[in-house]
Amino acid sequence: MTLLTCPREKEIAQLLALGQWPQAAPAELRAHLAACRSCADLVLVAPAFQSARASAIAAAPSLSPGLLLWRAKLRRRQAAIQRVSRPILGAHLFALCLCLAVAVAFAVTQATHSLNWLSWFDQLSQPTSINLRAFSPAALFDSPPSLLVLIPVLATLALLGGVAVYLASSERQ
Amino acid sequence: MSWESTFPSLFAGEAFRASALPAELPPDTLMDNDAFAGFYTRSARPLWAYLARVSADPALADDLMQESYVRFLCAARPGEGEVAARRYLFRIATNLLRDHWRRPRQSSIEEIPEEVFAATASSAQSDSRAILGPALAQMRPRDRQLLWLAYAEGYSHREIAEVTGLASASIRLLLFRARRKIAALLRQQNPQGGNLQ
Repeated sequence: MTLLTCPREKEIAQLLALGQWPQAAPAELRAHLAACRSCADLVLVAPAFQSARASAIAAAPSLSPGLLLWRAKLRRRQAAIQRVSRPILGAHLFALCLCLAVAVAFAVTQATHSLNWLSWFDQLSQPTSINLRAFSPAALFDSPPSLLVLIPVLATLALLGGVAVYLASSERQ
Repeated sequence: MSWESTFPSLFAGEAFRASALPAELPPDTLMDNDAFAGFYTRSARPLWAYLARVSADPALADDLMQESYVRFLCAARPGEGEVAARRYLFRIATNLLRDHWRRPRQSSIEEIPEEVFAATASSAQSDSRAILGPALAQMRPRDRQLLWLAYAEGYSHREIAEVTGLASASIRLLLFRARRKIAALLRQQNPQGGNLQ
């Protein structure tokens, strides 16, 4: 389809917009309509749409603008809450990951201790002297400091890591 | 940064969250009640008419009109003045219509009869529907939008491009084709031809 727009279309469109077609149109413009399909289409279509608009506007329901304002405020508030919650969720996830890592590390160290205990039971079957000092609470502190240091260090790391993640993500927001 | 601000829910629970949010929306992004009421009064009916006629579904038009205003109020306003605001509102409505059409539909637009329009319409309204309704129902949704914006709302090609998101250069051709098609359909309906008014 070739685009054939008539130079007189603007003239007719103005008259249509003002509601002055065909009364205020000169006779030669009305005569032009018979020969120009583009202008004839315009004269046919534009009033039909304007009439449809008028009837649809008359049928439009009325709604309280206050209700819409309230809904908009509510939605913005929910969006703001989500923005605030997102960094906290990130920190929670990070802390959870670190806690899992600590738990795995703890389980591994305990497993090695259990192996030591198993070897101790093996030694028990053989006749030997019992070292009673090993059962005293002080023995715990005599043991290598790895576990006693490792747990608080990892817990602190988890806490600080969570804080760091929260701060970083809240800064990005 | 204090601990209270680092862990709001830990120290003050939900009360802190509420206080951390703006009590009122910023004045540059939200109209006050009176300004919005005025804008709404002037723009709601034309917007509903656009949505109802283009979608051929008054119930959908109700929903989309409300959603359009809510999104309009939530969004940062792109320009000054009511004309720009109105254009922006129509743009939101157009995008919502497009989203609706893209979603898998339970019923086709073409299946919805024109009779679903308000039963209490006056005879003038019925005449208007009888003239344009069947022809409009045979047009593609995008053509309906273009025709409505151009001939019912009186938007220029540039404004239509802004509202629909189409290239400004293509609006002229698309509109020309759509007008030719609907004119042919209107002539078929009314073989006597001439002005349908």
